[in-house]
Amino acid sequence: MSSHNESILREPLVTGKDITYAKVTDDILLPVENKPNKAWWIGFIMAALGASLWVVSVGYTFWTGIGAWGLNKTVGWAWDITDFVWWVGIGHAGTLISAVLLLFRQNWRNSINRSAEAMTIFAVICAATYVVAHMGRPWLAYWIFPLPNQFGSLWVNFNSPLVWDAFAISTYFTVSLVFWYCGLLPDIASVRDRAAGLKRRIYSIMSFGWNGSVKTWQRFEIVSLILAGISTPLVLSVHTIVSMDFATSVIPGWHTTIFPPYFVAGAIFSGFAMVQTLLLVMRKVLNFENYITMFHIESMNKIILATGSIVGIAYLTELFIAWYSGSEYEMYAFSNRIAGPYWWAYWTMMTCNVISPQLFWFKRIRTSIPISWVLSIVVNIGMWFERFVIIVTSLHRDYIPSSWAMFYPTWVDVGIFVGSIGVFFTLFLLFLRFLPGIAIAEVKLLLKSASLQQKAKLIREGHLDAEQVTFFKNSLGKYDSVTEKEINELETK
Amino acid sequence: MSNIKYIIGSFADPDEMMDGIDKLQANNVSIYDCFTPMPIHGIEAKLGVKPSRLPIAAFCFGITGTCLGFSLLYYTMTYDWPMNIGGKPSLPLPAFVPVTFEVTILLCALGMVATFFFRNHLFPGRAPRVMDLRATDDRFIIAIDANDNADHGKIESLLKEAGAVEVKYNERKYVSYE
Amino acid sequence: MGTHSHHHDYNFSEQFTFTGRAKVVSLVALALGIVTVAIGLLSSDHITVERTYANLLLMGYYFTGVCAAGGCFLALQYVTQAGWSSGLIRIPQAMAYILPIASLILLVIVVAGLFSHNLYHHWYGEGLTDPNSPNYDALIAGKASYLNAPSFLVRQVGFMGAYSICAWLLAKYSYSEDLHGSLNSYKKSFKLSAIFLVIFGFTSPIWSFDTIMSLEAHWFSTMFGWYNFAAMFVSSLCVITLIVILLKRSGYMAWVNENHLHDLGKLIFGFSIFWTYVWFAQFMLIWYANIPEETVYFYKRWEPEYKPWFWINIVINFVAPVLILVNRDFVRSRKILAFVCILLLLGHWLDYYIMVMPGTVEMHRGFGWIEIGAALGFVGLFAFLVLNKLSKHALAPVKHPFLEESLHHQI
Repeated sequence: MSSHNESILREPLVTGKDITYAKVTDDILLPVENKPNKAWWIGFIMAALGASLWVVSVGYTFWTGIGAWGLNKTVGWAWDITDFVWWVGIGHAGTLISAVLLLFRQNWRNSINRSAEAMTIFAVICAATYVVAHMGRPWLAYWIFPLPNQFGSLWVNFNSPLVWDAFAISTYFTVSLVFWYCGLLPDIASVRDRAAGLKRRIYSIMSFGWNGSVKTWQRFEIVSLILAGISTPLVLSVHTIVSMDFATSVIPGWHTTIFPPYFVAGAIFSGFAMVQTLLLVMRKVLNFENYITMFHIESMNKIILATGSIVGIAYLTELFIAWYSGSEYEMYAFSNRIAGPYWWAYWTMMTCNVISPQLFWFKRIRTSIPISWVLSIVVNIGMWFERFVIIVTSLHRDYIPSSWAMFYPTWVDVGIFVGSIGVFFTLFLLFLRFLPGIAIAEVKLLLKSASLQQKAKLIREGHLDAEQVTFFKNSLGKYDSVTEKEINELETK
Repeated sequence: MSNIKYIIGSFADPDEMMDGIDKLQANNVSIYDCFTPMPIHGIEAKLGVKPSRLPIAAFCFGITGTCLGFSLLYYTMTYDWPMNIGGKPSLPLPAFVPVTFEVTILLCALGMVATFFFRNHLFPGRAPRVMDLRATDDRFIIAIDANDNADHGKIESLLKEAGAVEVKYNERKYVSYE
Repeated sequence: MGTHSHHHDYNFSEQFTFTGRAKVVSLVALALGIVTVAIGLLSSDHITVERTYANLLLMGYYFTGVCAAGGCFLALQYVTQAGWSSGLIRIPQAMAYILPIASLILLVIVVAGLFSHNLYHHWYGEGLTDPNSPNYDALIAGKASYLNAPSFLVRQVGFMGAYSICAWLLAKYSYSEDLHGSLNSYKKSFKLSAIFLVIFGFTSPIWSFDTIMSLEAHWFSTMFGWYNFAAMFVSSLCVITLIVILLKRSGYMAWVNENHLHDLGKLIFGFSIFWTYVWFAQFMLIWYANIPEETVYFYKRWEPEYKPWFWINIVINFVAPVLILVNRDFVRSRKILAFVCILLLLGHWLDYYIMVMPGTVEMHRGFGWIEIGAALGFVGLFAFLVLNKLSKHALAPVKHPFLEESLHHQI
C-alpha cells in the first residue's frame, strides 16, 4: 500500500541515505549507460558458449531427426517435454509477480517485476524451441495452426490438448511481451532523454515517443491494471493446459484431477526460485542492494516455502488417492515411482521440492543470501526432476511388461538442455546491458512512502509509538544494506 | 515576449508540484499539461481529466475474442468437418473452453494496448514531444500556455512560491523534436 | 501526513447491541429448524429420515466450512500483514470464535448419521468388508484400513479440534489486544496464523474426502479437497461481506467504506473464478478421459433428477458473479454487492446439495420443508452466535497496529 499512512511496522523497500529521484535513475541506469564490467563479460561469454552448444545440438537434431535423442518405442516423450515444462514453469513467475502481486497491492514487486518479466519472456522462448524441435519436421511447425484446407483435408484437432497448448503458449508469450514492453516505455524514455547521438535515436524509436503527460500516465495505469487482471487467469490457464497434455490421457500417474492447480503451484514455485537465483546475483553485480533488499529476498523465500508446501500437499494427495482409488494400475505407477528403477529421481524430487524448502521456516536461513541462493537452485533441480518423474516413470513401464524399457539420454538431449540454459542467460545478460533491469518509474513511487529515509524522517518527527519503532528497528537488523550505525541513528529529535 | 510559447515550472518534489497546481488554479491560470517521471496519484481529479474509457474497449475486444474463438472452433470442428474423435460429440463444449479463453485474452490484451497506443499517439519512431528533458528523470513539470495566460510574472512567482526549482520560458513547444 | 494523526472521529469502541428484531428473527429461525429436524428424524418414513440426515450434514458442513474459512481468512490477513482489512477483522474473528460450536454440531451429525446408517452407508455397513458376506465389496474392503468407523472419527475429531483451537485462539488474541494493547498479541497472532494455515492446508483435503467424498466411497478425485476449499472460502467471503453491509445499514462501522467493500467484492469475484476453475478442471478431465470408475460421479448427477441443478450451479456461482462484479460501480454499490452475496450463498448451498444428495438419498431427491427448515435453523443459529459474539467486543480492533492503514484505505 503506497500511501502516506503506511504503518511504521512495515519494513522499508528502498534503503540507503539521500536517495533522490535523480539517484534512482542514475543507479538503475548505471549498467545501461556505461561499458559492461568484467563480471558481465565473463557471464556473457559463458552463456554464449552454452548457446552455441544449443545451436549445435538443435542443428544436429534437425539434420538427423529426433532419433538423435534417447527416445525409444516405450518412452516416446522424455527430456524434450521435461525441459519444455520446466521452462514454461519458470516462465510463470514473471507474470505472476507483475500481475498477481499488483492486484494484491504488494508494492515490493515494483523493484523485481521488470527482470522477472524479462525472465518470463526468455524462459518461454526456451520452452517454445522444444515444441518446434520435437516435431521431427520442424519446417512444418505452422501446421499446428488452423490453416485452411490446402495443407491437407482436415482441420487441426481442437480436442487435442497439444493444440490448446499451442494457443496457450503463443497467447502467453504475446501478452507477456506486451505487458513487459508497455512497462518499459517510460524507462526507455528516461534512457532516451539522457543519451545522445545514435543511442538517443535508437532509444527514441524504442520509446514510441513517450512523454509522461497526465493522460499518458492515466491510461498507462489503467492498461497495467487490466493487463494484470487478464494475465492472472492467463497464467493459470497456461500451466493448466500444459498439465492437461498429461491429465486428459488415461495413463496411470498422469490422469488425475488435481493436476491443473498442482502444476500451476509448481510453476510459481520454480519461477520464484529462478527469480531468486538471478536477482541475488544481479543485485550484487549491479549494486542494486538498496532496491532489491533483504525484505524482497525474504518475501520470495516465503513464497517459495508456501508454494513448495502446496506442491507437497499435491504430491501426498496424489499418492493417497492412488491407493484410495483401489486401481491397481494407479497403485503400481506410484509404487514404481517410489521404489522402481527411477526411485532416485522420485526422492530427489521430494527432497528438493518439499523437504529442503521447509528450511525456510528458519529466519536465519531465509535471510542468508548464500543459503537462499543455493536452495533456489536446489528447487529448480527438484522441479526438473518432478517433470522427469511424471513423464518418464509413467511411460517406461506400460501395460505390457515385455515392452518395459529405460530411458537414457544421448549427448544431444543433454546438449539441448544445457544449451537452452545458455540461450536463456545470453538473452538475460543482453537485457541487463541494454534495458533498465528495475522499473525506474515504479521504484520512484516508493520513495515517499516505503523508503528507509522516509521512515527515518517519521521517527525523527516523533508521534510514533515507541514499541512499534523498536519493532521496526529490530526488523532492520537482517538488512545487509543497512548498517548498525544507520539503525542507531533512527532517533526522535 | 510574444515568442514565448510555454512557461515551464519545474519541481523536484511531486507534492510541491501538486501544491503548484492548486495555487495556479486558485489564481485562474489554466494548466496545459503536466509531465512527470512517474504516475501521480490524484492528479487527474485535480486537473479535471475524465476517467479513461479503456476498460470498455478492453471488454469489447474481449467479447469479440470470445465470439471469434468460439466461431473458429464451431466452424472447423462442428460445421465444416465433424468427426468422431475418441467418441466425443462433434460439439465438445468442455474441449472448446481452453482455446476460446485464450483467444479472448489475446484479443482483449492486444486490442486494449493498440487502443492505448492509438489514443496517445505512441508508435515506434514517433518523435518524442517532450517539454523538458528532465521530466523523465527527476523533475515534475507543469506546462502553462503562455498566450492564454498573460501575467507571466505572477505565474512565475506562484510557481516559485509553491517550491519550483526552476521556471523556464520555452520558445519552442517541444524541446526534443528530432 | 504523519502516521498517527488521529483526525478521525470514529467511535471504535462502539459495540453491536444485539436486541430486538435481529435476536427474535434468528431465534425463530433456529426454533423452526429444530422443529423441522425433529419432525424429520422422528418420521416413520425411512426416506424422510435419511433426507433429514443428508440436510443436516449439508448444513452442518456448510456452517463449519464457513466458520473455518473465516478463520483462514483471518490467518491470511495476519501472515500477509494486510492492512486494509483490519477495520472489519472483528467479523471473521466472531466466525472463528464460534468454530468450536460449529465443529461440535457437525461431529454430532456425522456420528449419528454414521451409526444410524443414514450417512456413509457406501462404506459403513453390514458385511461390506467380509469376503464371505453377500454384501462383500472388494473395493471398499481395500480401503477399509482407512475408511473404518474408529479411524474416521479420530480424524474428524482431530482435524476439527485442531482448526477450532487455532481459530478460537486467534480471535482470543485480538480480543485481549484491546485490553493490553502491546504488539505482543500481534506477534503471537502472526505465528499462530502460520501454524493454522499449515495444519489446515495439509489436512483440509482429507477432511473433505472423509466428510463428503466418502459418501460415495467408490469414487475418488484428487481435486475434491481444493474444490471444497474454494467453495468454503467463497461462501465465507460472502458471509463476511453480507455482515459488514448489514451492520453498516444499521449504522455501525462508519470506518468501513466502499473501498473496503470493493476489495471484498474483488475477492469474491476472484475466488468465484477460482471455484469455477477447479470445478471445470475436475469435470473436464473426468469427462475427457471417460473412465467408468470416475464418470460414475457425474453420471449420477446427470440423471434427470439432478441435471438441471447441475448446470444451474455453474450459472449461479460463475456466470452471475462474473457478469455483475466485473463492473466497478456494481462492486461498490452496497445493494448490488449484498444481492450477489446472497445469490452466491444460495448457489453454494446448491453446490453442496449436488455433492451430498446423489450419494445419500439418491433418486429420492427433494426440495421442500426439510431443506428449507434445516437451512433456516442453521442460518438462525449462525446469526445468533455471530451477532452475540459481535455484541461482546468493540467492533474495531482498537489497538490493531494496522487499523490506521485501514482507515485511509483507498482504491
